[in-house]
Amino acid sequence: MATAIEDYGLREACGVFGCIANGPWPTLLDVPQIISLGLVGLQHRGQESAGIVTSQGQKGSKFVQKKGGGLISSIFSEEDISKLKGNLGIGHTRYSTFGGSDVSNIQPFVVETLHGLIAVAHNGELVNSGPLKQKLLRHGVGLSTGSDSELIMQLLTQMPHCGEPNGANWVGRIRHMMEQTPTSYSLAIMHQGSIFAVRDPLGNRPLCIGKLLPLAACTGNVSLQADDSCEGWVVSSESCSFGAIGARLYRDVMPGEIVELSREGVKSHCVVARPEASLPALCIFEYVYFARPDSILEGQMVYEVRKRCGKQLAIEAPAEVDIVSTVPESATPAAIAYACALGIPYGEVLCKNRYVGRTFIQPSSRLRKLGVAMKFGVLSENILNKRVLIVDDSIVRGNTMRPIIQMLKNAGAKEVHVRIASPPIKHPCYMGINIPTREELVANTVSIQDMAQYFGADSLHYLSVEGLVKAVQSGIKQDHTIGHCVACLTGNYPVNLDW
Amino acid sequence: MPSEKAAGEISENGTSSQSSTFIKQEDLASGKWLKLSNVYYADPTGRQRVWEVTSRTTKVAGDLPDAVVIIPILRRNLHYDCTILVKQFRPAFCKYTIEFPAGLLDPNETVETCAKRELKEETGYTGVVKHSTPASALDGGMSNSTAQFLTVQIDGDLPENQNPEQKSDEGEFIEVLTVPMDELLSKLNEYSTEGMVVDSRLYMYALAMEHTKGMVQPKTPK
Repeated sequence: MATAIEDYGLREACGVFGCIANGPWPTLLDVPQIISLGLVGLQHRGQESAGIVTSQGQKGSKFVQKKGGGLISSIFSEEDISKLKGNLGIGHTRYSTFGGSDVSNIQPFVVETLHGLIAVAHNGELVNSGPLKQKLLRHGVGLSTGSDSELIMQLLTQMPHCGEPNGANWVGRIRHMMEQTPTSYSLAIMHQGSIFAVRDPLGNRPLCIGKLLPLAACTGNVSLQADDSCEGWVVSSESCSFGAIGARLYRDVMPGEIVELSREGVKSHCVVARPEASLPALCIFEYVYFARPDSILEGQMVYEVRKRCGKQLAIEAPAEVDIVSTVPESATPAAIAYACALGIPYGEVLCKNRYVGRTFIQPSSRLRKLGVAMKFGVLSENILNKRVLIVDDSIVRGNTMRPIIQMLKNAGAKEVHVRIASPPIKHPCYMGINIPTREELVANTVSIQDMAQYFGADSLHYLSVEGLVKAVQSGIKQDHTIGHCVACLTGNYPVNLDW
Repeated sequence: MPSEKAAGEISENGTSSQSSTFIKQEDLASGKWLKLSNVYYADPTGRQRVWEVTSRTTKVAGDLPDAVVIIPILRRNLHYDCTILVKQFRPAFCKYTIEFPAGLLDPNETVETCAKRELKEETGYTGVVKHSTPASALDGGMSNSTAQFLTVQIDGDLPENQNPEQKSDEGEFIEVLTVPMDELLSKLNEYSTEGMVVDSRLYMYALAMEHTKGMVQPKTPK
């Protein structure tokens, strides 16, 4: 159950955002307001803290920063936004972490290099952060945040091997950094008058580019959609941010690609190849859970993929029940599709308290047991004496599924069946999803046949790995290589982990 | 031709019969647009005095103003609020001035219509009148011309305001300047340093914004 990942704390899934104004500078575009709205659109990826850094974009321009803990709306006041006035900027929103939200740990990070200031916002986790950190420390680099994002920033301050005979070679520096660590990172890097959007060669975390259009164009005036009405460019972890700022999805940043956004427009510098021509590895859990349903990844809407998962689940594990429902909210598209495929009515059985959300911190163990009852209520009229089936998007520890089933039975459900719209999670993730240890993963301690009984359900089935991959990949156009990371499901890691 | 006007009233709170009063007006010269007159009046001691006064020949009857001045506020989604100013050659100085868009009131035209028309002709923008001042004196020491200042809000996101095109009259060469509200005063100082003459009312508007900054945030009219 997705909540289990959140409730027990450790998880890294952040959001990055950047914006650069087109046209004459100083711009009339409210760049910090746009970044703030962009981060609000990515708030589902992190609510613990956020930061914005902006600049006038000239050589020697100062960087203005504002960072804080909590939701975007509480960090940035109108006065903060007006102080952040600039021609370009980047922002970051962070999920709950170890060790609190000391302001110095909040991204974007800013550092001075040989060629002036840079700011870096990072989504992902470096698979080789341990050895890489040791390497940097031995080199004499001092670190101050304990975050692997700082390692990326320090690597960017290094001279690339090809040297810099013609002055600053940022593409060279970024390539040099990419050679030191294979995954996972989606980055927004700000230097002078440019924002570099970078995705690791496996493309493990998402990143896309949007084009800012005048409001008149967004409200349907077709003649205003020409290139010359472009007001600016934005880069974001997900496209769901774009509606609120009047931007339109332009394209994804490809795995391994270094893209530069400047007043000259969008320039793709290069695509760093994957070792041994292996396949890309976009985290499949972006589709299952992390991304917002209205985001478009790889040319397809996340909502549609979740629907296909539900449909596939109906083929693999049908049931004879009176009502099909969801564990709100990420499983809803799958649940509706499951119900539709089997011709069973879809209804709501659980009511979610939206104020007990992703920032819910578990206090003592006594209260932990009540945790699920704090988050959900049962709509008992809908389940009385009925055979109920609930669909959830995943199970991790399994500590929340059991109380939910108990709640439904206590409220009078005759039978409770469970379907999971993803395969069982069995292996740790090193790319940023801080999955608990093997022993804590319920799929490792309880066999599939015993799962239903373990949870107190009348039946319990997962989506197969093949089914999930098919649901994800069948909607992607075949004009480039496709690949998804399913390491936590199969144990096949996209990178060699011997560092 | 001398013209006579009624004597000034004594106010209700009992100011003395010793306030200044009009005696008569003698026109001295008249051009196509302006007229020069001697105005004879009695000062509070009763002594007769004279004052040279210019006035516009285009003055419309009643208490309508000679001119309508527009304070344009351009608002666009996710953009800073701006005002629209005009730069033009003024033969009175033989220099370029920076002013709010403005125009003389045509006969049979309302003040609102004049404001919208002048704004459209001089800047190409279409706006909505949000507020208007009473008629106020433009240069009371030498003229009886008045103006009403109308605050006009321009929705910069409407299709008609995407590529504003001026419709200048023959002989009018006007350059449109778009200035962010929060930079108005510094921009006016810049223009001044560059040798242009800034209109005094425009300057006062910018100065007032600066004066009130420490107190309450100036809000652009809704």
